[in-house]
Parts: sequence; C-alpha cells; structure tokens
Amino acid sequence: MQSETQPSAIAGHQPKAFAVKKARTRFFGLTLDECIRVFFGGNAFVAVIVLALITFFLFREGGPFFKMNRDSIRVYRVAGLEYVDIIRQQEQDHTALTRYLFDIRMKVVKQLRDERGGLIEADLKAARLTVEKLLSNGAAAGAPELIQAQMRVDEFQKADSALTLEINASLAAFDKFAERYGDTVLPVRGLVSDIGEVATGIKSRYTENEDYKVARAQYLAAGKKTEADAIVLKEIDFKTEVAAITAIFPTYQQMNQEFAVGLKRVVNDLPILPVPALQPRMVRFSELTDLYLAGFPETEVRLKAWDQLAPVPWYHALAGFIFGKQWLTASFWQDWYGVVPLFVGSLMVSMIALAIAVPLGVGAAVYINQIASSREQRLIKPAIEFISAIPSVVLGFFGIAVLGQSLRALSQVEALSWIPGFPYSERLNALTAGVLLALIAVPTIFTLAEDAINNVPRAFKEASFALGASKMQTIIRIIVPAALSGIISAVLLGLGRVIGETMVVLLCAGNRIAIPDFTAGLAVAVQPVHTMTGIIAQEMGEVVRGSIHYRALFVVGLVLFFIAMLINFLAQKIVRKYRISVG
Amino acid sequence: MVTAKASAISHSTSSTSMETPASTPTSRPFNLSSPAADSDQTDTLIEISDFDFYYGTKQALFDINLKLDDKRVTAFIGPSGCGKSTLLRCLNRMNDLIDGTQIKRGGVKIRGVDIYGREVDSIELRKRVGMVFQKSNPFPKSIYENIVYGLRIQGVKSKARLDEIVEKSLRGAALWDEVKDRLHESGLSLSGGQQQRLCIARTIAVEPEIILMDEPCSALDPIATAKVEELIHELKKQFTIIIVTHSMQQAARCSDKTAFFYMGKLIEYADTRTIFMNPANAQTEAYVSGRFG
Repeated sequence: MQSETQPSAIAGHQPKAFAVKKARTRFFGLTLDECIRVFFGGNAFVAVIVLALITFFLFREGGPFFKMNRDSIRVYRVAGLEYVDIIRQQEQDHTALTRYLFDIRMKVVKQLRDERGGLIEADLKAARLTVEKLLSNGAAAGAPELIQAQMRVDEFQKADSALTLEINASLAAFDKFAERYGDTVLPVRGLVSDIGEVATGIKSRYTENEDYKVARAQYLAAGKKTEADAIVLKEIDFKTEVAAITAIFPTYQQMNQEFAVGLKRVVNDLPILPVPALQPRMVRFSELTDLYLAGFPETEVRLKAWDQLAPVPWYHALAGFIFGKQWLTASFWQDWYGVVPLFVGSLMVSMIALAIAVPLGVGAAVYINQIASSREQRLIKPAIEFISAIPSVVLGFFGIAVLGQSLRALSQVEALSWIPGFPYSERLNALTAGVLLALIAVPTIFTLAEDAINNVPRAFKEASFALGASKMQTIIRIIVPAALSGIISAVLLGLGRVIGETMVVLLCAGNRIAIPDFTAGLAVAVQPVHTMTGIIAQEMGEVVRGSIHYRALFVVGLVLFFIAMLINFLAQKIVRKYRISVG
Repeated sequence: MVTAKASAISHSTSSTSMETPASTPTSRPFNLSSPAADSDQTDTLIEISDFDFYYGTKQALFDINLKLDDKRVTAFIGPSGCGKSTLLRCLNRMNDLIDGTQIKRGGVKIRGVDIYGREVDSIELRKRVGMVFQKSNPFPKSIYENIVYGLRIQGVKSKARLDEIVEKSLRGAALWDEVKDRLHESGLSLSGGQQQRLCIARTIAVEPEIILMDEPCSALDPIATAKVEELIHELKKQFTIIIVTHSMQQAARCSDKTAFFYMGKLIEYADTRTIFMNPANAQTEAYVSGRFG
C-alpha cells in the first residue's frame, strides 16, 4: 500500500494503484484456500494413517502369539505329553487300519445287496409308496387294498431282513477276523491312556502353579502381602515326574513285541470274502499292516531318543502355525493352532466361488458390453450391481434356509448321481458357501471386467470388422484378449472380495475345522469346512483377552490382511501393465 | 477361393462390364488384373444412386449419385462434416455398427450387386472391400499376427501359406525390408507411419477388390505421408482405391478422379485435373483455392 502514501508526481493526476492485493480472511494464519487444501490433504492422509494403525495393532496383538506358542510347545514337551503322543500315533494308525477293514465290509455288503437284494429293495420301496399313496388318497383304515399293500410291505421287509441275516452269516469269518485284529491293540491303548493321565496331571498342576504365580504377583503389586503369602507355590520338578512316564518303556517294548506277533498271526490268516472281486483289497490290507509293523522299531527309536529337556527352536512356533494341520482349542490334552485347515477351507470355498463367478461375471460383461441391446443393458446392469447391495448376512440366511436345502435336494435326484459328491447329506458345506460367495463376487468381476472391455479402443473393433470378421470372432480374438489383463485383475479383486467375506461362510460353510479329504476327488467340494474369516468371527467373542488363543486369532487376521494386500497389489500391477500395452 | 457368397455378389458382373473375364468360369469373380486397368476406358465399379443417409433423425447425405471407376484412385474432398467419411463407410457397411443409422432412399451397387440387398452378408462384403482408418490401429498382437488375422478368421491354417501371404502383403505395403527381422514383435512397437503401412498390409492380405482409405495420412509426418502416397500409386495397379482426405495436395497428387462434397451433398465430381484447374462449380473453386473449408 505504499503507492497510496507517495505523493503523485504530477499534481491533479492521481495514478491508479496497481490493484493486485486483496485482503484475505485468515483462520489460524491460513487463508481460505490453504484451509481447503489442508482439509482435502488431511482426508487423503487419513487412509494412509488408518492403514498404518491397522497394521501396527494387528502386529501388536498377534505378534506375541509366536512366543506363547513356543512356550506352549515347550510345556508339551517338558511335561511328557509329546512322549505319550508318539505312542498314541501308533495306536491311531492301527485305528486307521481298522477303518480300512470296515470300509471293505461296507463294500462287500453293498455288492451282495446289489447282486441279490436290489430287487427286494426296489419292491419294498414301491410297496411303501403304494401304501403312502393310498393313505394320502384317504383310504379307510380297513380298506382291502390298503391291507393288501401293507401285507406286501411286510412281506418284502421280511425278505429284506432275511437277506441281511444271510449276508451277515456269510461275513462271519470276516467279522471274527476284524474283531481279533481290533483286539490286538488293546494293551497299547490301555498303556497310552494310563500314561496320558499322568502327563495331563503334570501339565495341569504346572498351569495351576503358573496361575498362582500370576495371582501372587498381582497381590504383591497391589501391596497385599498377606494375601500373597497365603498362596503356596508348588514348583513342578518335571524331571522326576516325567520319569514315571518314561519308566514304562520296557513294559511298552514287551507289549509292542506281543502286539506285533499278535498282529502278524491275525493277518496271516486272511478270511475269504464272499465277493471274490474284493479279495485284492484284503491282500492290500495285509500289505498295509506289514508296512505298519515295519514302523514299530522306528517308534521305539524315537521314544528312546526323546529328550524332555531338548530346546524348542523359535521356528517351531512359526512352522507350527503356518504348516500346522490342526486347529484345536480348549482341549484337555494340548491346544494346536495350525492355520492349514482354515486356509485350505478359505481357499476351497473361494475357488468354488470363482469357478462359478468367473464365467458368469466375465460372460455377462462381454454380453452387456458387446452384444446386448441398450434395453437389455438398462435392465441387466443395475440388476447385477444391485446384488452387491444385498447384506451378506441376508445372503447367508438365504443360504441356510433355501440354497443349502435345495442343493441337497438336487443332489439326491437320482439322475444327477453321476456328479462327484452327489448325493450328500450335509446341508451346509463348501459348495453351498461357494455358490453364495459367487453371487457376491459376480458384481465385482462384472463391473471391473466390463470396464476393461469398454476400455478396448473402438478402433480395434472396427479394424477387425473391416477385415471381414464376424461379431463373435471379433469378441473372441480381439476384444477379450485386449481386455485380458483387465479381466484378470477383475477376477483377482473378485477373489479378494470373496476371501475376505465372513458372514456367508460363517453361516453356510458348515464350520468343521479339518482339512477336507482330498482323496474324495471333486467330491471334496461338498464337505463342510471352516474358514479364516469364519473362525475369527466365531471365536473372537469367547476368548480371554491376551490369551494365546486370542493372539492366534489376530495372527489369522494378519494372514488375511497380507493375502488381501497381495491380491490388490497384483491386480493393480496387472492393470498398470494393461494400460501401457494399449498405449 | 471362390466362396459361395463371393460369387453371389459377382453373378451379375457381366451387365456392367464388357471386358471383364468374369464370364469365364475358372477366373476369380473380382479379377485382380482386369485388362481395363491401364487403359483410359475404365469400367464403373461402384454405383451410388439417389443415396439418402441418416444418423438417427439427422440427415447426413443428400441424394448422392456417383459412379466410381475400377482400378482408379478416387478422392473424396470437402470440409469437415461434409459427409465424405460417412459415404466412404457406407461402401463397406461399417455404418451398420453404429446404432440408429439408416438409408432412407437409394442404394449402392458394386458390380451391379446392391450391397444393402437382403441376401448380402456384410461380413463377406467387408472381405471384398477393405478399409484403412484415419488413426493407425494395429491390433495389440505381433506384426505377423496382425497380417494373418484376416486369414485366420477365414480359416486359413497352413503355415506355409500364411508365411507367403505375410511376405507378399508386407512387400506390397513397402514394409517388408523394415520389419522382416522382427515379425514377432508387437505391431504397436512400430512408428506411426510404419503402423499405418502395417494396417494397409493387413488389409491387402485378405485380397479385397476395393480399399477404402479414411484420411490415412492425417496423423503422419510428411515423410511417412510421402511413403503412403507412393504406396497408393503402386496399389492402384491391383486395387480400386477410394481415399478421403483433408489435404487437397494429396488429392491432387494421388487421385485420378475427385469428388467434392459440401454439407452432405455431392457438389462436383470430375477428373482430378478438372476439379483443381477448371472446376465447374463456384463452391468447388472456392474450396480448392483455399477460400473456405
């Protein structure tokens, strides 16, 4: 404002001020423009801060898990539970063999029934159906045709039970064999049960003592010395206590010898099956038993070499989580936090979902973008996008009430029994959850894939048509390949959406914590599974804050977090590459 | 290679030409080396009559009557929005791809066949009438795959034959020497001028009869433009070329005949020399002398 104060050179001719300055209102020393800038900048940074905070807290809550898991494994070893489990493994392998035997029996029975009983079963079914029909048609209780039908049912029922008796009689030798085979393990089983009790005793006294220690420390911290002194700590001398367990080794050795001899004797005398076609299975069974017996010396070596005080390396805690095949909590014996069953469950459900959602989503995107009339576009596009607006808990409810039921009913249709896994009886399983998740993934895949297809330059399409290509040829050879990276990233983001979905899998996946039995082939899809998201939602509410279980759930959360990051990273990378390639 | 549909297009060729050997049953329906090629006496190949064309309710072309010669280069000139590109795209029915276009009156005949007739398959038509676009648009595939695309969709599988056509087409488009060592690199890795010649090579690989060029040099630098123009001179021995251009020099340099359009109407159509030296119409004169447009 200097110019105003300076006197003008020529009197009467006031030079105009060069008006470029403007008074600005300031807030905290910032002009309005700067305030707006700070506001938007701050909003943008909130995302980064929140992400950093989430990562930090996940690590803070989950990180101590590995130390605790290591401690837990250490106790497992030092209290002798590990020792017992070595013998128990042997016993469980025997049980598995017995199951194999039982499986053979089922096959034999089925075969025999198919051979001779098939007719009776069909007749029985038909007769029962007639009775039902008559009853529903309002036939009176004493109506002659009803009585006749009921008599037929009785007749066939009698024939059926006679057949059962006959089959059982023909399997008498086999049953006897199975019984003797099963009995051989009894002494070992008794031993395991005895020393198992000793081991749990040691462990529970140890945990009790640890709890007392904590309580005592708390009293002391609160300055309550008398109460603290009232708590009597009893340190466990693992060495002497566990000696009681390892002392059984000579007994075990002898028992094992008898067990082996007994098994061999039983197996040498294989029964002849009434179905000759299945006899090779018996031979196979005897081979398996031989293999099992060959493992005995190794078990003994392991028991001898077992060292209660051997240190637990840190990576055991990590490997126990990443490769652990068991997620076993609140057990009387030992808790295991292995993520594999949950991871496999999540992966399986997601793969089922993608197998359904990718063809649907991509196909719909191609159709809407390239083929559909504008009227169809106006109808279908909002419909697909609306699906993503359905709350997933509602979808889950639909899954339980409708989809699970109808899929099971569908699986029991005889004409469809050729589909692997059909028929099945578990209403809630990976398939049910996968189908619903597909519904959730379709809008994501559709929208992004449609975008990708839409971004293919029109010039490609025109060039293709100008060379005499038909619409389908243009779509398949030019448009889809040109949009492929966009479509792949759409699928990846769909996967991210599905793998993070919680409510649907919690409600519909069946929640059985076990690695699905992949020997079943494609039928694995109808087994119930549990997922990483599901387990967090289910168990987080009931765990003690700060316990190993609580922390394990956070580590599962971390795994999910990293999977999601990886998927998003890949998708972005692919999309970026795609942009360059089109130029 | 005589397909059923191609012969359907050509079945009435004899009515328009006395000299074409279409009457001999063994020859191709659209013979590439018509004896008329080098004589002053040329045949009418394309006949556009009373043609009215609409985009939705907006009329883009008004009553066009035009006869285009075989084995000649015809240039369409005129200011932007005059309908020259629209007419060009009508010749291979590319406008079918745009919603709401319609022909209210008249038609286009190629060798006497109405290309908007009910039995005409637009896909077969486009195999006979190729097109090169304003902006070079090679597919995001290798150079080789770009060239053989048109053949692959016709079901040609023989590797030897594809190789042969690739070389022939690239030589035809004067590109062979520049790319022969990198046929399997992306077509997008070429320079703008090379890309445009690749698009021309891709078009001649399917051996069309007519090549439509929609401002093929408007995105190219002068050297690349000169190469394409040179190429057009070569190509006219084999193909009938119709070129839309904004550059009057280009029209003067490459074309035998020129049609001037204005506001959707054909104003004047004559030998290029006549149009530029001695136009009959005042508007044409104003345009070619650069007074508007």
